[in-house]
Amino acid sequence: MTVILGIIVMALVLSVLLSSCEEEIFNPALTRTFTIESPSIGVTYPIQVALPENYNTSGEKFSTIYVLDGDQDFDLVANTCKSLSDRYGAPNVIVVSIGYGRDRSIDYTPTKTGSSTGGAPEFLEFITSELIPKIEQDYNVETTRESRTILGHSYGGLFGAYAFAVNNSVFGNYIMLSPSLWFDDEVSMILEKQNRVDNKDVSQLVFMGIGEAENTGKMQAPFEAYYQILHDNYSDMSLSKNREDDLSHMGSKDPNIVKGLNYYFQNR
Amino acid sequence: MKSLTYLFLACALFVCTTASTQSRIPTAVVRQLTIEPGVGIHTNFGTDFLLTNLVQWNPTKRFSLASHTSFNLNNIYQRDVNYVKTNYNYSINQKFGAGTTFYSKKSSHTALLMIGFKYTAFKETLHNPDLDPVSVTINGFSPDYGLMYSYKKGLKKCFFTFRTYIPLYPWPVKGSNIDYIDGNRDSIAVELGIGLKIK
Repeated sequence: MTVILGIIVMALVLSVLLSSCEEEIFNPALTRTFTIESPSIGVTYPIQVALPENYNTSGEKFSTIYVLDGDQDFDLVANTCKSLSDRYGAPNVIVVSIGYGRDRSIDYTPTKTGSSTGGAPEFLEFITSELIPKIEQDYNVETTRESRTILGHSYGGLFGAYAFAVNNSVFGNYIMLSPSLWFDDEVSMILEKQNRVDNKDVSQLVFMGIGEAENTGKMQAPFEAYYQILHDNYSDMSLSKNREDDLSHMGSKDPNIVKGLNYYFQNR
Repeated sequence: MKSLTYLFLACALFVCTTASTQSRIPTAVVRQLTIEPGVGIHTNFGTDFLLTNLVQWNPTKRFSLASHTSFNLNNIYQRDVNYVKTNYNYSINQKFGAGTTFYSKKSSHTALLMIGFKYTAFKETLHNPDLDPVSVTINGFSPDYGLMYSYKKGLKKCFFTFRTYIPLYPWPVKGSNIDYIDGNRDSIAVELGIGLKIK
């Protein structure tokens, strides 16, 4: 009897927690989906595109936000961009969500430390040479570096730092959330140092977010070090960081996405 | 708020149901005041080590008041990884709670709603020889509330005790994915100890 009651209470607690996890779907009428096969990688990626409400009537060209882990974060990013655009009276953006084609730990990590890492160079090449040209051909989007943003969390944030360091001409804005900068002895930070001379005088925007409770022994110090490096060496950079109180690696993700986009809309 | 209401209704149901089933209670398992030191882990792959103590006072057979203290050495197995050194990483939790106790022949079970605070302190240093060293220190208080279940087995003055605590803070869950409760999930405590009947 006791065990059964205990199970019932635990189940109720869990159901209450789960009931809080409601996700608002982005307007399907403004969503375009397609797949793109990368000949260089040999993988097909599902792509979702969120269009502004005035896309067909305004005739203007829109900035773009490329979202890693798009299968998870597309709706939140697209909805947040719409609400921020409305709030600030700023032009909305086109959100391009890159879904999973192969293991994210391959695509988002810059060096090979095991069998499922090290695909970032070819994934960045795919974005640069295959995805962006298609988006810029098929949609009314700006084609400048300053108009493009990349948003990623965890390994996705690491990929943003990698793109920032090795091919800074692709994106002008970086939203890096709980970036795994510790990866392979901080290789992304070493790459930043090696390419600093080429990148430091370029205008760009960087938002870094993390959870205050990410105390697994490898997240906070590289995060702070990277922020200090950007702060001390990049004079023409709009830079901000945020620590979400009491939240951990995954729990801080959505709040930091909202704050990162907020910073972008206010400072782009 | 609706969810919170459901939660309290569930707890109330739990308390009422269990209390009403207790008609014949063996007197040996009824304890008025106990001290229960113990050790434990969090469910984040067992990387945290907990030193804890529960003081439980039952003014009546079924009504329980409790104080729970926990000193946590966090992340003890990963203190220097990828040139990131953990200088220190600990937290202290102090909670008070109320609930109910129900009994079987040789054991007792207590369900408690707990509320208190958590103090967290940790410092990490990046010491990669190719980069400038940087340290980051985070110290701070946060709320701590949740559900505790305490099990006591034995009829003597000393008895075996087991307890588990499910934190419900941060609340509500900020996110759209069940993985986003990682902070709560990884802080579920499982503790074992020896209890001492004072009264």
